Amino acid sequence: METTSSEINTNQVEIDLGQQAEVETKPVHEATLYAEPIYHIGSFAITNALFTSWIAVFLIIIIAISLRRKLKEIPKGIQNFFEIILEGAFSLCDQVTGSRTITTKVFPLAISVFFFILINNWLGILPFGGFGLVEKGGAESVFIPFIRSGTADINTTLALSLMAVVGANIFGIISIGLWKTFNKYVNLKALAGIITKIRREPTVLVVAPVTFFVGVLELIGEFAKIASLSFRLFGNVFAGEVLLLSMSALLAYGLPIPFLFLEIFVGLIQAFIFSILVLVYFTIASQDHDEHDEHEEPAHAMT
Amino acid sequence: MDSLITTFHIDWKIIIAQVINFGIVFAVLYMFALKPLKKLMTEREEKIAKGVTDAKENAEMIEKTRKEYDEVLNKARAEAHTIFQEGKRDADAKKAEMLEDAKNEVGVMIASGKKTLESEKAKIIEEAKKEIVSLVVLATEKVLKDNDNTGVNEKTVKQINNM
Repeated sequence: METTSSEINTNQVEIDLGQQAEVETKPVHEATLYAEPIYHIGSFAITNALFTSWIAVFLIIIIAISLRRKLKEIPKGIQNFFEIILEGAFSLCDQVTGSRTITTKVFPLAISVFFFILINNWLGILPFGGFGLVEKGGAESVFIPFIRSGTADINTTLALSLMAVVGANIFGIISIGLWKTFNKYVNLKALAGIITKIRREPTVLVVAPVTFFVGVLELIGEFAKIASLSFRLFGNVFAGEVLLLSMSALLAYGLPIPFLFLEIFVGLIQAFIFSILVLVYFTIASQDHDEHDEHEEPAHAMT
Repeated sequence: MDSLITTFHIDWKIIIAQVINFGIVFAVLYMFALKPLKKLMTEREEKIAKGVTDAKENAEMIEKTRKEYDEVLNKARAEAHTIFQEGKRDADAKKAEMLEDAKNEVGVMIASGKKTLESEKAKIIEEAKKEIVSLVVLATEKVLKDNDNTGVNEKTVKQINNM
């Protein structure tokens, strides 16, 4: 009731001052699709999402160094916790890749992706949303928080997806060779097969162009992977932030609590999904498609 | 594409910055956490595996040693039993032999004793006879002296002496 009366008083003062005084409005916090800049170094804009990512990097460095210092043969505390996580994650990776060799190579990357995304996701839901700067633009001023989930910015998720897909292809080149990786997308082998197999198998005239087209689809699929990976993560985390903001706007006390728990869970799940997908892409890239064809060919020739 | 870039404020500089961020995270995690932790865990795993293998080997060795010990013990027992039996048999034989010898010796001794006794007896009888004769002679002489019948006495003494 007091708030209402004070608002009335303010309005009366505003009316009294008339057009001479500027209307003092509360800064508005809008949930934008993009991360807002909080500082500029030349033309480089430091966004709140980038700032949060730096905090995440800093936290991970602190945790990693403290873990390194406390490493003992008989595990205790933080080491015990990380050993449990590491062992569980390693066996899970083994199940996904189906090969200990691939797991050993890809696991460090996948677990790094997991922790980077997880910390970024969780930092966004920390109750530091009140810290920020107010930017005056025209009639109304806008509040820009310092903290925004690193993954609630498409630039971060795009960077991670690009690294995942490009990294997977580099891993594929290292594992099966440049020619085989290239043939996955531009299947020259299939086209060459028309000349070599046409007498034995006339059906190659139909199969080879289809195979070539599948390769082109694979190439498009790589771009789809980037899009799906980045937009899935961004969408989930951003939606979570919007949800929390909406709930806080409805009722600041109590109502956001269940949604905070939900976002903790979503953050964990999204980090997990992203890292598992990275693992899957790396595994697929390291497998030779021709191996299956070569195994199948003798049987096909028999018939 | 342009609208996408404008809507989401896609900025390649921030993308590069985030790539660098992730690179730092990856390097730090790998160098300070994953690599040493993995090494430690592998070493521990190897140590435990070695411990388990050693324990198994030790248990097998103990079992084997116990079996050997039991075998040796049983063998020794059997040998001891055999030796004991043989010894017992030998001792019995020896005992029987010794008993036989003793019996024989006793028999011989008894026989020789008897012989000695017989000869002693004969000797004693002889001596006794001689004593008796001398006593008889002395007694006769004394009797004859008292009767003073020299001719008859001498004749009698001679008869007695001839006896």
